[in-house]
Amino acid sequence: MAPVLRTEGLTVRFGGLTALDSVDFEIRRGEIRAIIGPNGAGKSTFFNCLTGVLRPTAGRILFNGENIAGLPSNLISQKGIARSYQITNILPNATTLENVRIAAQSRRHSWSMLRHHSAYLDIIEKAEAVLEAVGLRAKADELAANLSHGEQRNLEIGIALATEPELLCLDEPTAGMSAAETHDTMELVRRIAKDLTILIVEHDMQVVMALAQRITVLHYGDVLAEGTPAEIQRNPRVLEVYLKT
Amino acid sequence: MNKRSTTIYWTGFSVILALLIVAPLVLSEFWSRFLTEILIWGLLAMSSDILIGYTGMVSFGHSAFFGLGMYGAAAALLMVRPPNLWLAIVYGLIGSAGIALFVAYFSTRLRDIYFAITTLIFSQIFYVIIFTWTDLTGGENGLTFSRPALGIPGLFSVPFSSETLHWFVLAVVTASYLILRRITQSPFGMVLQSIRENEGRTRAIGYAVERYKIVAVMLSGLFAGLAGVLYAIQNRFAAPDFVYFLVSGETVIFNVMGGIGTLVGPIVGAAFFLLLRETFSRFFTEFYLIPVGAIFIAMVIFMPQGLLGFMRRWLNQ
Repeated sequence: MAPVLRTEGLTVRFGGLTALDSVDFEIRRGEIRAIIGPNGAGKSTFFNCLTGVLRPTAGRILFNGENIAGLPSNLISQKGIARSYQITNILPNATTLENVRIAAQSRRHSWSMLRHHSAYLDIIEKAEAVLEAVGLRAKADELAANLSHGEQRNLEIGIALATEPELLCLDEPTAGMSAAETHDTMELVRRIAKDLTILIVEHDMQVVMALAQRITVLHYGDVLAEGTPAEIQRNPRVLEVYLKT
Repeated sequence: MNKRSTTIYWTGFSVILALLIVAPLVLSEFWSRFLTEILIWGLLAMSSDILIGYTGMVSFGHSAFFGLGMYGAAAALLMVRPPNLWLAIVYGLIGSAGIALFVAYFSTRLRDIYFAITTLIFSQIFYVIIFTWTDLTGGENGLTFSRPALGIPGLFSVPFSSETLHWFVLAVVTASYLILRRITQSPFGMVLQSIRENEGRTRAIGYAVERYKIVAVMLSGLFAGLAGVLYAIQNRFAAPDFVYFLVSGETVIFNVMGGIGTLVGPIVGAAFFLLLRETFSRFFTEFYLIPVGAIFIAMVIFMPQGLLGFMRRWLNQ
């Protein structure tokens, strides 16, 4: 099957520093792929390129065969790539439901000016369905700022999901979570993975090994290795630079 | 909003509207006129709230939109015979919307203080153009014209009295308020508030933030222009003083005093500021700005949410 996303020679340089060095990468539709690597390996830079935050210095990013490198993030979102953030990035003064609703609304009715937002039942239904999926239905009317850290992380995923993506990029979704919360979030990722492709950056190796079907190891902006969790765990080069330390 | 607060809201709305309708019949000629003027400045302040309070962009250029509304109305009233009220409004709105599109196109690329400064500079450019292009604008002296009659062509036409002018202004301001309120509650209004809360995230979930900002500035400019038209009709002149940045500054002060992000607040702020100025200028003559300034500073420190925010908290206690 054709890959949903492919990068060809993706390169990002910040002055003299090469953050990504000609990365060739491919992810199949429906896959859960993890990207791991030591700090500074280029994981975040890679995400930032995919989601339009950074313009790559060179190379192409093909999403469903179309080059999206250098497009602004709103257009990339409209094409079907969504992202959750490493540092929680929500609307703190809005309720949980409002956070998700504004994301759901980005696909329809967003220019409507003359009717009350609550009249658009399709948006509210979509938002409620997303809250149900991420387990925040009971907190719908709570201010996002008052949610626990774990709940805010799941709201992050909810906001991304509400934009109806084909590819979801999760940036350390379980960072700072308790063991129980981590477990719940892993279940959540598995559930939503049925309908979309997931790319996940994560430091927690247990999460990575349990969730990912394939793993890509980045090291100094280069792809060091790629394979199933079992292959990666046995790979001597990966052990040397990353897993041992 | 739940059912009870909806009832309270509409009751309050009806009571205030009723008081404003009755006011010119009760008040003296001077205060009646003063009230009409408060409504006009309130509309200007409210238009600016769409940017300050809802989108998180502080405009220091609203005098340009207000002034273009004024001069647009002047153009219609001076060039078309007989002078027509509705044409004055249409000309004023076209003028202000055109300028707003021009300003918005350039200034929305910038954020925060850079946006504010850009709008300020644009408004000063228009001020200088209007001030110096004497042949067209009358320069320093501005333009004077007669007030059009209130009427619908072919149906009826009566000259404005001070009561009917007040009611006409009240109708326009009330309609504008209801429209702006609806816009702030619409899906589009939600996007504006999302931009205010977190611009980067709003873009990341698929919104072309710049386009929404341009439309917000245009809407804001349109209603500011409408206020300019009303002022021109009330006072029968258009003058460059009203394009000067002091008017923009006052607009921001109305917002801060009344409470941003509430639409009603800026009108309250305008009323409060104009009353203060009226009162103090009687006692302190040209030094009235000193006590007014002191009160403004005290308000910013002790009630940063403005009069309306302060009243709300006080009522909730």
